[in-house]
Amino acid sequence: MPTLIIDGKEISVKPGATIMEAAKQLGVYIPHFCYHPKLSVSGNCRMCLVEVEKMPRPVISCAMPVNDGMVVKTNSEMVTEARKGVMEFLLINHPLDCPVCDQGGECSLQDLAMKYGPDRSRYREEKRQFPNYDLGPLIETEMNRCIQCTRCIRFSTEVAGVEELGAVYRGDYMKVGPYVEKLTLSSEMAGNVAESCPVGALNLKPFHFEARGWELQQADGVCGHCSVGCQTSNEYLDDSIKRVSSRSCDEINLTWLCNKGRFSYDGLEKNRLEKPAIKGETGEISWQMALDQAAELIKSVKPDQVAGLADPSGRGAEELYAFQDFLRNAVGTPHVDHRIRLKDFSGDEVKLTRADLLMNTSLADMASADAILLIGSDSRFETPLLNLRLRQASLQGAKVFSLSPRLLNANLEGMQQIVLRPGSELAYLQSIVAAQGSGKGKGEAATIASALKKAKRPLIILGDYANYHPAAESIRRLAVEIAKKADALSSDWNGFNRIVSRGNAAAAQDLGVVPHRGPGHKGLESKGKNARKILKGAAEGTIKVLFLLGVDPLLDCTDSHLAKQAMEKAKIIYIGTHHSPVCKQADVVLAGLAPGEKQSTFTNCEGRVQRAEKAVNGPVESKEDWRILRALSDRFAKPLSYNTIESLHDAIAKADHRYDLSELYGDELGPACDHAPVTTGLKVSGSSKEMKGMTLIVESSFYHDEPQVRNSTTLALLDEGCSIRINPKDAASQKIEAGNTVRLISGEKKIELIAKIDEKVPEGVVFGQFGYVESPVQDLYDWEGEFPQISMVKL
Amino acid sequence: MSAQVQILFKNSTKKNSHTLKVHKEGGGYKQVEKAFGLSTEDIIDEVKRSGIRGRGGAGFPAGLKWSFIPKDNSRDKYLVCNADEGEPGTCKDRDIIRYVPHQLIEGMIIAAYAVGAERGYIYIRGEFVREAEILQKAIDEAYKEGYLGENILDKGIRFDLAIHRGAGAYVCGEETGLLESLEGKKGQPRVKPPFPANIGLWGGPTVINNVETLAAVPAIIEKGGEWYGKLGVEKSSGTKLFSISGHVNKPGNYEVELGIPMKTLIEEYAGGVRGGWDNLKGIIPGGASSAILPKEVCETVTMDYDAIAKAGSMLGSGAVVVIDKSVCIVKAVERLSRFYRHESCGQCTPCREGTGWMSQIMTRIEAGGGVEGDIELLGSICGNISGKTICALGDAAVGPIAGSIKAFREEYLYHVEHGRCMVG
Repeated sequence: MPTLIIDGKEISVKPGATIMEAAKQLGVYIPHFCYHPKLSVSGNCRMCLVEVEKMPRPVISCAMPVNDGMVVKTNSEMVTEARKGVMEFLLINHPLDCPVCDQGGECSLQDLAMKYGPDRSRYREEKRQFPNYDLGPLIETEMNRCIQCTRCIRFSTEVAGVEELGAVYRGDYMKVGPYVEKLTLSSEMAGNVAESCPVGALNLKPFHFEARGWELQQADGVCGHCSVGCQTSNEYLDDSIKRVSSRSCDEINLTWLCNKGRFSYDGLEKNRLEKPAIKGETGEISWQMALDQAAELIKSVKPDQVAGLADPSGRGAEELYAFQDFLRNAVGTPHVDHRIRLKDFSGDEVKLTRADLLMNTSLADMASADAILLIGSDSRFETPLLNLRLRQASLQGAKVFSLSPRLLNANLEGMQQIVLRPGSELAYLQSIVAAQGSGKGKGEAATIASALKKAKRPLIILGDYANYHPAAESIRRLAVEIAKKADALSSDWNGFNRIVSRGNAAAAQDLGVVPHRGPGHKGLESKGKNARKILKGAAEGTIKVLFLLGVDPLLDCTDSHLAKQAMEKAKIIYIGTHHSPVCKQADVVLAGLAPGEKQSTFTNCEGRVQRAEKAVNGPVESKEDWRILRALSDRFAKPLSYNTIESLHDAIAKADHRYDLSELYGDELGPACDHAPVTTGLKVSGSSKEMKGMTLIVESSFYHDEPQVRNSTTLALLDEGCSIRINPKDAASQKIEAGNTVRLISGEKKIELIAKIDEKVPEGVVFGQFGYVESPVQDLYDWEGEFPQISMVKL
Repeated sequence: MSAQVQILFKNSTKKNSHTLKVHKEGGGYKQVEKAFGLSTEDIIDEVKRSGIRGRGGAGFPAGLKWSFIPKDNSRDKYLVCNADEGEPGTCKDRDIIRYVPHQLIEGMIIAAYAVGAERGYIYIRGEFVREAEILQKAIDEAYKEGYLGENILDKGIRFDLAIHRGAGAYVCGEETGLLESLEGKKGQPRVKPPFPANIGLWGGPTVINNVETLAAVPAIIEKGGEWYGKLGVEKSSGTKLFSISGHVNKPGNYEVELGIPMKTLIEEYAGGVRGGWDNLKGIIPGGASSAILPKEVCETVTMDYDAIAKAGSMLGSGAVVVIDKSVCIVKAVERLSRFYRHESCGQCTPCREGTGWMSQIMTRIEAGGGVEGDIELLGSICGNISGKTICALGDAAVGPIAGSIKAFREEYLYHVEHGRCMVG
């Protein structure tokens, strides 16, 4: 380990470290603009110049590797003079508009100008002017403030993998901006360019003129919009979140956030359920009345005629635990589930462990993988910050293969995409297993098998398409088989990862929001109905009261046709945060709080438990969901046992020790993938046949997949809207053009939608999206069957 | 005028000197055979012994540069010839390519063999259209005759050579800017370390040499490093091409031994200063980036790396620009300052902002808008750029301004005070 002296203090660092890194380790601050710990070194700002003994000129500490015996001075006269010079150069063309700049108060240039800047300018010439750009709804530009540090360019190119920003022209005319004049930044992580901008050139448009940095208060948050669980900082003023920034976390999100995590906060203030409501009652409804009514509905039927469905996304572990606790123990029904999109429940029949259901490779380790097999995973949009690790691996030469029903809009280097016809997945996976066994075979399956075999750190990833496939459990078992054969289930490297993208789904699994397991993965004697059977029961009349925690079955469950029948027949009690179609049908609506408005606990796809703090108050009348459940339980013989959030946390911790955060980890981050080995040797019993004819697949919509996101004005501007995507040839054969309205027919069900032509969609398959009130394409689904066969008519 | 040893231009005056046939008649490509009989270490030692310093401008010893290529690196190694001759005043590489392209190709084959490169590129400036054509023809001829390709002279040695034409950026003459451009990116110099010898083109170890340096290699192999080392003076061995332009009677490229007195070079070879030696105001000795030397210095200074450096300038690329008394130094430097502003790549702060600022001040002074303190301000900006940039372009931009203020301060003062030129 090289040892050097910085400002008289000795330090040993790892070989190859730079002076900047060594200084950081020592706690010595070296001023900088272009240096960013998570981006490549560019060395252009020249602010981090330091003096190194025996070197004639000052050197940039961000790029200079440390040598043994180096003597570095970060504050000598030579250094101060050099920095003053650089500072003056940066300021000559920089506008003096700090008072109206969003970055004011948190600007590197402003801060360092206090120390190194001259108090008046020697610059007598005209200041340079750059045009501003319209980069879409997320980023506001004021390019005269740009100091050409190229952080935004490096972020876009290296991290996000989209070459949209660059520096054009030379010298002092060099301007940073998009290569094409008018461009909406397409990256799902575009907001990071503003956060990494050291000055006020790229700003967050939704935050523009909303507040000054120093007025904001911060609360630690955890993003629950997908299952990665990025660490956020919710910054608020006057009881309203004004901005969401990332917290640096090397284990999870490094220092980035995706657009959904960063910009969905305005959805908290739109379209909210503000007070409880009872169907048919128009007067003032008190909580007392609403809860009485809910209790009465439940008590009016037999306990096992009551069933509960929860959507883990946007829910904390607190309410998920309390929900199943209330249903199982206060009401006495075993019917509770959260898997509203799952089609294949056959995994419930064997005892699957946490390792079978979640990830086994930590996010940080994923970056070091050398072969990646994505099975039905659109990782870039399902779990953006996880995809970033895969991108890191791919940039370091990992071989990447993807099996999916359409070509993905991916950003993984050298990814080989294999498009599989719906229903043919099992056969294909079996051919990989066969090639692994024989070591022979031709074609892509053999290539995949041999790449996995050669790899030392192979990753097998199951994404949402695989998880929600009609033969999901068989696919999962085959994936385990492939992982085992690839030697990816060893004690030093476990590469099997089932990634459910729905936020906090892991907590729902851990805390028993499933019909066959109780909290803490304990087996149950009396198993309840799963999500499909619950809705089917409701439609048939065997389930008479449906208790919904944040889930709108009309929008979010696999088969909205079945959901409609269920809603019409059963009595509905709904706890939620936003107005949604189900509210109109619900007999009792109870207004809950969203994350950020309460303390909530999230478990990410690695199985890592994190707690988010409360930032702001929700609507005055709304209550924390678990408190609603607690109050409701008072109307039953066995009320819930906890009256404070602390005692609730204790109860959760007792049920599953991983949730004992304060006891186990204090302020530290809990461990990832802290669970038993993957179950191997399960027989692949399911079958699935390749679909013939036109087939429909329904996916999640990145900017429209849960209530808060749906109600975000910012994200609505990025959402492509309700439509179906058709292959150009299929469209041509039906004379369909982009923008036409098309009727999709499946049996007796039909639905009308706007058509989009997409070359990435294969022939014979049509893609729709969940979550749109206007025309729920999932109406055409049959929850029990395979993929729906459809016909298409242009209107 | 004493006869000078001609190494680079030995054959350049022959008819059709650019053809392989004429090159071979003059002994060409024999050194490839000789070199292949030597070990790579021997060749590098021979070049080290010759003491030849890089002719592109920086004057780094070529043999030493070659020896930096790591032997144990498994990545592909590259040899790149820098023919992006952009330094204002320089036109020597153009003549080598025009008249003796095979000498360059021969030198490259030997250099590539010595450093273990199987691929070479000649990065030629975009404006050299005819030269690129000549060079391409020469390369084609060499391929045909088996001097380039997979199996040179049936010795199992491989060297492929390709031309890449630049797009008109001065900064692409900087070796790492050149590599970026060659890789298809925007021509912006890289931060060093790492140096190209370790991580160069496409990440592989790379040697980058000037045309003139490589063209001298066959002679070094032929007659030995010791012989070459005896030419010229200590620490500046060999012959050098000087591109003499400006107010001389016979402008052109002259090959002379290093260490020749500047006055001799101008008066005896370039036909003397227009209007006689006494009409001389100053000479830029090594291209636009080098500081101008006033007449008093030109009287005695010799043309070698150390002497010129001692006089406060640099030998650079050997572009000698002679300036007589009809010239307003402020105006001349103002023009140069615009050049550097235009050519700064814009990447690093001091050069991006500094060249623009200096140029604006120079233009203002030249236009009669100079104010008291401007000259000191220029000096201060020069100091803030110098030695603080990613590449040498910042220093190059400082050279003419700082040099002319030092040598011709009174002309600047006159401009600021009177708002017009001292001359004319």
